[in-house]
Amino acid sequence: MRDAHERLDHAALRGSLFVVVAVLSLLPLTRLIWEGLAPGGTASTSALVRVLTDASTWTATAHSLVTAFGGTLVAVVIGAIVALVVTLTDMRARSAFVFFFVMPLLIAPQVVALAWLQSFGPASPLLRMLGAAPLVGSRNPLYSPAGIIVVLGVQYAPLVFLTLRAALRSLPQELMDAALAGGARPFRVVRTIVVPLMTPPLLAGVALSFVSCLGNFGIPALLGIPANYVVLPTLVYQRLAGLGPGVLSDVAVLSILIGAMAVAGILIQDALLRRRDFRIPAAAASARAFELRRWRPFVETALWLLLVVVLVLPLCALVLTSLVPAVGVTLGIKTATLENFQFVMFEHAAARRAFVNSVALSATASIVIALIAIPLAYFVVWHKSPLFAAANIVTEIPYAVPGVVLAIAAILLFLRPLPIVGISIYNTVWIILFCYLARFLVLGLRPVASGYRQLDRTLEEASQIAGARLMRRLRTIVVPLVAPAAAAGALLIFLTAFNELTVSALLWSSGSETLGVVFFSFQQGGDSTYAAALGVLTVIVSVALMLSTLLFARRVPQGVLPWRD
Amino acid sequence: MKWESRRSFVIATAALALAMTAPAGAQEAKGKLVLYTSQPERDAAQTVAAFRRVQPNVDVEVFRSGTTEVMAKLAAEFAGGQPKPDVLLIADAASMEALKADGRLQPYKEAKVDGLAAGSFDSDRTYFGSKLITTGIVVNTAAKSRPTSWADLAKPEYKGQVAMPSPLYSGAAAIMLGTMTTRSDLGWKYFEQLAGSAIAVRGNGAVLNAVASGEKTYGVLVDFMAFNAKAKGSPIDFVFPAEGLPAVTEPVAILKTATNPAAARAFVDFILSDEGQKLAATMGYIPARASVGMPSWYPPGAKINLMPTDIAKVVHANSANLQRFAEMFGK
Amino acid sequence: MARLTIEHLSKLYGDFRALDDVTLTVDNGEFVAILGASGCGKTTLLRQVAGFDKPDAGQIRIGDAVVSTPEYHVPPERRRIGIVFQSYALWPHMSVAENVAYGLDVAGIRNPERAHRVNAALALVELDGFGDRRPALLSGGQRQRVALARCLVTEPSLVLLDEPLANLDVHLRASMEREFAKFHERTGTTMIYITHDQAEAMALADRIAVMDHGRILQVATPSQLYREPADATVARFIGEGMVVPVANVEIDGDATCTADVLGRRVRLRHGPASARGTHACLREHDLRIAHGNGVRATVTSVVYQGGHFRVEATCAAAPATALHLTVPEPCGVHAGDAIDIGIDDGWLLPADHESQLSEQR
Repeated sequence: MRDAHERLDHAALRGSLFVVVAVLSLLPLTRLIWEGLAPGGTASTSALVRVLTDASTWTATAHSLVTAFGGTLVAVVIGAIVALVVTLTDMRARSAFVFFFVMPLLIAPQVVALAWLQSFGPASPLLRMLGAAPLVGSRNPLYSPAGIIVVLGVQYAPLVFLTLRAALRSLPQELMDAALAGGARPFRVVRTIVVPLMTPPLLAGVALSFVSCLGNFGIPALLGIPANYVVLPTLVYQRLAGLGPGVLSDVAVLSILIGAMAVAGILIQDALLRRRDFRIPAAAASARAFELRRWRPFVETALWLLLVVVLVLPLCALVLTSLVPAVGVTLGIKTATLENFQFVMFEHAAARRAFVNSVALSATASIVIALIAIPLAYFVVWHKSPLFAAANIVTEIPYAVPGVVLAIAAILLFLRPLPIVGISIYNTVWIILFCYLARFLVLGLRPVASGYRQLDRTLEEASQIAGARLMRRLRTIVVPLVAPAAAAGALLIFLTAFNELTVSALLWSSGSETLGVVFFSFQQGGDSTYAAALGVLTVIVSVALMLSTLLFARRVPQGVLPWRD
Repeated sequence: MKWESRRSFVIATAALALAMTAPAGAQEAKGKLVLYTSQPERDAAQTVAAFRRVQPNVDVEVFRSGTTEVMAKLAAEFAGGQPKPDVLLIADAASMEALKADGRLQPYKEAKVDGLAAGSFDSDRTYFGSKLITTGIVVNTAAKSRPTSWADLAKPEYKGQVAMPSPLYSGAAAIMLGTMTTRSDLGWKYFEQLAGSAIAVRGNGAVLNAVASGEKTYGVLVDFMAFNAKAKGSPIDFVFPAEGLPAVTEPVAILKTATNPAAARAFVDFILSDEGQKLAATMGYIPARASVGMPSWYPPGAKINLMPTDIAKVVHANSANLQRFAEMFGK
Repeated sequence: MARLTIEHLSKLYGDFRALDDVTLTVDNGEFVAILGASGCGKTTLLRQVAGFDKPDAGQIRIGDAVVSTPEYHVPPERRRIGIVFQSYALWPHMSVAENVAYGLDVAGIRNPERAHRVNAALALVELDGFGDRRPALLSGGQRQRVALARCLVTEPSLVLLDEPLANLDVHLRASMEREFAKFHERTGTTMIYITHDQAEAMALADRIAVMDHGRILQVATPSQLYREPADATVARFIGEGMVVPVANVEIDGDATCTADVLGRRVRLRHGPASARGTHACLREHDLRIAHGNGVRATVTSVVYQGGHFRVEATCAAAPATALHLTVPEPCGVHAGDAIDIGIDDGWLLPADHESQLSEQR
């Protein structure tokens, strides 16, 4: 009798998780694929053939793969090295550094790309000071695949960093002591013990940044279009800008292509993880820091220099632009003005609404996704079933496809009022929330899944033996143990959703603006100064939010906030 | 108790009587009007606000984005079978032509088109140009030499210093391409030369940024953006090229599926009215009805040489043009 | 308290037979050790009994209730058993007291009874006052005892211990062995103890089940296992038995016989099924140095072990088998010497190995 109860718990939980994943991840893309295979309602392979036989499709695919791999490599190198140094050494001002290193996620990718562009161009104040400014008219080196790769890597290094740091903090000291006692120098210990043990979170970071690079639009738009270096997301925009009836079906086919690449990536990641056991014994004291001794000043300087490049440069560009009345006016005592801020804060009602909307949407999305990810990852990692393995893969797709594609899919789905309830969420904040949930689910799932992989399953088995049923086990044992990983995911989601642009660009309407939308409108319309002012305000608000979490730091379990040790 | 209810009854009746004696203004429209537009943020807000002063009983819901995004959203809504907007106000007539050909637009025969520039509105009255946006050459004030014509831009001494909006991503730039390639003094030869000098960026905003910041010295840019930035202090100047300026009309149209056609017509009326046209001029655009006056940057008494555009031809040749452009401007 | 009955239990992973027709009965209050080398299937068997895996064939009953068959499965949380895991599996985010009280919380038992039982459990394992500590700060032995206390506080009918002493040092092991023994005496809980260490098994268990490659080779009391191994594998595994070929067996009674062993005529013990045995099992203490009258052998090594020497030798008659025996201090032999080894006793191994899967009492 009580058996049946237990089976019902299980079945109910699994069933609802399936429904959630199906609705969020499968439904929109299925609708879009339907559009690709049955344009205008009549089944036909014309769109498929047209797109797949077009040479530009394959050129863009090749370019996408190149920039995705390259960008991932750069992101992983930077993110992993920083994570290792920050977590395993005795560097000073660690919390402050982490705080700042995570901040670039708050700045829209286009702004980052723009700042780099200006820093390396003939108008660069920095290069002019050094006398190394290129001649006016020479090609900016950033307009190239190399430029795209570098900026993508810098943009997504914090993703890898966050995923890795949560895991590194649970590394027990005794594992490294064993290696040190065996005579290994610290570098060797890191190479042979730490890195292999960190393979799951590392691969999770690799997978996340690969998919992020694949679906990124802003950076290749700014740096690739002038070089005529087309990747799949920019190709999608080309199709959309063209005139003609076949637009949506073409876009659908291209999205299928992108989705397939993302799925391939995750399949490879799963295959790599399957062979080995990465579990770390629980209840062991976590790692003490390696001492840097005489290397310390060099390492710290190198890290803060890195921060200058990835954070200070774009922030400075942003602040400078926000203080001038128009683009190109040199900032001086006479020319500095706060008019842009005044406009954005007081005269432009949409900006204020956008702040509220963005905070609410991002916070809701991150919390809801964390709540979904914990039980979902439980079944994916600990209950090897082919259905859940499939569910795991499917969640990648809404994140991999360009935001505009997901938006179109959502429009197709929700244009008409929902059946049964009869309410329409179209052109309201709710359709944006739906898309955020669908798109960012994977950002919450990956860190949590890697958290589970590091846990010893006997911890749950012991509570089973003590008589606890599924829901109680999840609540009292599992959730506290994966909370740090879940929080890392939630933070990632908040920071990404706060600035996101391409999804809400198509879905908003008066009253449901987001920050990204308002920012984009200003940029496009030539009002870069307003955009910059908005950007600065966004960063200030986000920093304030992040700082405020320190007030609650005591209540939150260890490891949840990456900038608090 | 009774006294309260009687008092409120009296007040209500009085209010009703008052309302009925209110001066009858222009045809009063009411309800919700859904507008999809690609005007810049500030201009869209001002247009809507001005419209609401004339028609206070209409609630306007606005979706504003780039033309590409607006058209994509529309396309999805058409595919989903329930298009939302009543009126469209977008940047290029070519997209309007495509919509007209698809049977999506509703003609408005009674629209007041007197005084509007010839060719700025559709002969079947399905769409009407709201203003004239020309594209010219923008120059950074620190430049050592100034081009005076389009042909100058392709000169070897300007190599690598020119930015232009890519027609692959911008309908207005595509119209410009279509217009200029049919001219004998420019044609495809011109663009072949330009391919060596210029880079194509995404959108006018990017061109403005590039030239104003000094990254590029010269650019191809729409008039109002250049002049508005210059007015605020950007170190740029606008040059009217000798061959003439291609223009787009930023047309307004009513969708066939409009749920509030009365309000939609009122909106078109407003746009084409003197008041709406004057608003366009104050926002820095050349109005479609020249009689209301020119924007402040317009050289007084000057006659700007506009390049004529055969919109149907441009639409027809568009995909071939874009393909050729893509090959030409490849690395 | 409960009796555990395992009947014809099998578990396959693809082609690999992790458990092969295992049958075992553990009586109410018995302490049974499951002994075997790594990979023999003992942990698999434990997980089956606990309910973490389902069998492919066979049945498990706790008391009278069927808990596991291929079609029917009672989940672990309903089986009322206790487990002490090899890694202890203490929850790092809870204090010692919270760890121990968990089972009580699940059962809805509140203070003051909850506190009372937790303290009693901690006292039982001699960890009074440790309630507020975190597991991360305890030593291995202390964690071991917390795991035991946690297991016992819910008064389970059956306790499974998965190599509990494997991670402890020698001195600790000895004292923990005493703990387990005392504990079993006091509470009379049915205990199943998984281990690869014979000394532990011999010291603690009422009966031992020897497992190899998924099969149970022999279930018997420690003494029987030592003196009367069922086959060559058990013989070699337990007490480092030496298995040597024999010839010309002559049965001369119910329990004794004579045979040619390594060229000498020796008196051996035998069991009912041994009639046609071809090998015998010799133990260390069955051999001694016999001056002049014994099997000729050459000494290969002499190792001091504190008070006595372990002498290893090979003899010409069976060069494949190394013989070893203990010689009290002082030892007169050295490596390379020729010695005579006298064989005083041995056990004739049964001829038919399959028949030894049945239990012996």
